[in-house]
Amino acid sequence: MNKEIITSPRTGDSCIHVKHKSGLDIYICEMQGFNSIEALFGTKYGSVNTMFKTAADKDYTTVPEGIAHFLEHKLFENEDCGVFELYAKTGASCNAFTTFDKTCYTFSCSKNYEENLKILLDFVRKPYFTDENVDKEMGIIEQEIKMTNDNPEWLVFFNMLSGMYHSHPVKIDIAGTVESISHIDADLLYRCYNTFYDLNNMVLSIAGNISADKVLEICDSCLSPCADKGLETVFPDEPDDIVKPEIREKQPVGASIFHLGYKCTAKNGLERLKDIAAASTASALLSDPALPMCERLLKEEIINSTFGGEVFYGDNYFTVIFSGESDKPEIIREALFEEIDRLVSEGIREKDFQRIKKSSYGMMILELNNVESVANMMLNAHIDDVGPYDAIEVLSALTSDDVIDYMRRELRRDRCVLSIIEKEA
Amino acid sequence: MIYKRFELGNEIEFTAIIDNKFKSSSLAVYFITELNEKTAAVNNLGISILTVSSSQYRTYASLCEKLSELYGAGLGSLARKKGDAQILGLRASWLDNKYALNGEDINGEMRRLLQSCIFEPNISGKEFDPDSFNIVKKDLIDRIDGELNQKRSYAISQAAKTAFKGEPAECTGYGSREAAAEATSGDALSAYHELMKTARIEVYYVSPNEDSSFAEMFAEGFKDIERAPRKASVRNHSPLKPESVTVSEEFDVNQCKMVLAFKTDSDDKYALKMLSIIYGEMPFSKLFLSVREKLSLCYYCTSTSISAKGTFFVDSGIERCNIDKARDEILAQLEEIKKGNITDEEIESSLMALDNAILQIGDTPSSYISWFFDCFSDGQYITPEEHFEKFKAVTKEKIIEAANSLKLDTVYLMLDKEVQEQ
Repeated sequence: MNKEIITSPRTGDSCIHVKHKSGLDIYICEMQGFNSIEALFGTKYGSVNTMFKTAADKDYTTVPEGIAHFLEHKLFENEDCGVFELYAKTGASCNAFTTFDKTCYTFSCSKNYEENLKILLDFVRKPYFTDENVDKEMGIIEQEIKMTNDNPEWLVFFNMLSGMYHSHPVKIDIAGTVESISHIDADLLYRCYNTFYDLNNMVLSIAGNISADKVLEICDSCLSPCADKGLETVFPDEPDDIVKPEIREKQPVGASIFHLGYKCTAKNGLERLKDIAAASTASALLSDPALPMCERLLKEEIINSTFGGEVFYGDNYFTVIFSGESDKPEIIREALFEEIDRLVSEGIREKDFQRIKKSSYGMMILELNNVESVANMMLNAHIDDVGPYDAIEVLSALTSDDVIDYMRRELRRDRCVLSIIEKEA
Repeated sequence: MIYKRFELGNEIEFTAIIDNKFKSSSLAVYFITELNEKTAAVNNLGISILTVSSSQYRTYASLCEKLSELYGAGLGSLARKKGDAQILGLRASWLDNKYALNGEDINGEMRRLLQSCIFEPNISGKEFDPDSFNIVKKDLIDRIDGELNQKRSYAISQAAKTAFKGEPAECTGYGSREAAAEATSGDALSAYHELMKTARIEVYYVSPNEDSSFAEMFAEGFKDIERAPRKASVRNHSPLKPESVTVSEEFDVNQCKMVLAFKTDSDDKYALKMLSIIYGEMPFSKLFLSVREKLSLCYYCTSTSISAKGTFFVDSGIERCNIDKARDEILAQLEEIKKGNITDEEIESSLMALDNAILQIGDTPSSYISWFFDCFSDGQYITPEEHFEKFKAVTKEKIIEAANSLKLDTVYLMLDKEVQEQ
């Protein structure tokens, strides 16, 4: 077992990566002076993975939307007791979450991390699904779905995705729908579990007040080698164009909100990281209150301080999103169109570019200041198929020409979707 | 960790926490004043405007430009309530100098920027700069209008409004829409001067390096301000209504919300917190195990103890047809505790969870600030370890006593419009 020490040349921070004999990738960051420990045990299995096969299967299997999230709920129930009961005895706070491209089980503690880690490695690998306990969970998840359906931020985001993607499952709610989850049963859950919860498809990330040797000793004792199942996931063909440029919905909200997204080319690994750096810098420039466009929109009371930009990406999808509260999002769309055209033709002032870059660098350093952020950063980098500190290096190499080039190629008017949630009359 | 606390002026205290594990510094300035419907919004505007411009950076654009030059330093404001007091403040954080790529003095630049924002605001005659004022006024009105966007917090806020009717805590920490809409830039400037003169002021500085320059900057800034502090009372138990009140509102929502507010005459905040954990704060709590796991009625059903107001909230998101069933179960679980049905394991698990949480204090700058501000609010400067010892001293009998002190005061229901029409 080789311990690879990964160090950031820029900050001097380091962590350990081990490809464990079981097939599991393990990332460990010992953080001196901190009391907390944060651990995540994740699988590359999210809501978008609705079609898949292993080497043993002839054909691809299609499963109901929301099943990855349903499975996450059900893993908290062992045959003999609930997982919460086990953690209640150690004092750790445990949780789990499902995103578009991963499912993670976590604990946070400041004592007994060895015992907590053993529980984590154990319960995630001990599924216990019955028709009875699946039925019981149905009501709970239905309420979770209804709760998120009342969240206008969630609605405006998914409406934007449905205006952007013709067939990619990213446009479907992570938890599925009340109808789609009604097709889930114990057999289907086992099918998904046995496909995706293969240690070769999983990662453990742990940071804080820990000993790397102790963590590896626990992994050695808990994990045995797992045969690689040859997992393949596929996505439906997705055209480059969008479905429709504008979607409006009325909701019981006090303030109207919008999401304006650009459908961009999706890449993988380091190439995607370069796109993330360019797209993030472009979105930061375009939502920067220090620059004339936002200054004018603020003064004219078209936007408020909630206006901002972000990059959203995963397997076969990549978007640059601007969002906030506004009664006049069409004016923001026009302003963005004009500003992008201006920047592409006139270029970015070097002073502004360097300032935004410094700001992004500062945010990345701050991330290394926090146990939870470090554990998440190591796991996310692995899922994205890059190194934990690659983002800082890619940012350092970024030029203003890269950003202009990105805007010219990707921030196209015909790939823009505006989603609006308006106040009911 | 090095901890220092000293007086900077009349009812102005400075707390410095030096911890070399951090890569950044943080500063929080809290103004504690009476919570009042008439002044809450304008007080909020008078402080939040300090984060939008200053005499050195006369526009929001120039201030934002400077902050991003300083490696994305953060500067923001806050307005909330604690008990019957309004807490207003500024928060800032910035990267330590050793991470500056070109040898910039980020710390020194932030000190000068904050000095300008707090003590040399952007004033034009007898009012704040109108452009800056318009930005914060719009933000505040939008925030108030946007309350309904977050259904769960809106429901809790509405329950608090009914539970605390006639008391200062009836209003929110950021003020009402009417007061915000009527406020002028001149009113905001008067509120700023009044707060600098009369509010209790707490300053917290967390840094990897010992540096007295921030304390000196504040001492210098307050030197010429004639202080006449007015005491703001944080802890005031809310009286129990003669009969419990139910209020409901209808919206076009998918899920109904129910909030129950109980009142207590108990001052034993440690027993009340232990009760809350056993009852409904954790995944091993009775409400989670019964209302969610056993009956599958909800995704969340949690309790919160607001000891400053002697109030206890339980909130859940449920189907309209299950409201009675959920309420009966929530009350039945409380009855169980009142009858003494608490296991040693439940007490032990609650203590373990508290121990883990308390040990994490100090792992982020904000956790230090919250801890020391809570010490100030409670008038009790103890260590986290001593705090935990107080929880350990809570007996099962004290928890039962705390449960028996809870009386239902208010029920708030957010109802599904469509279902009601059937």
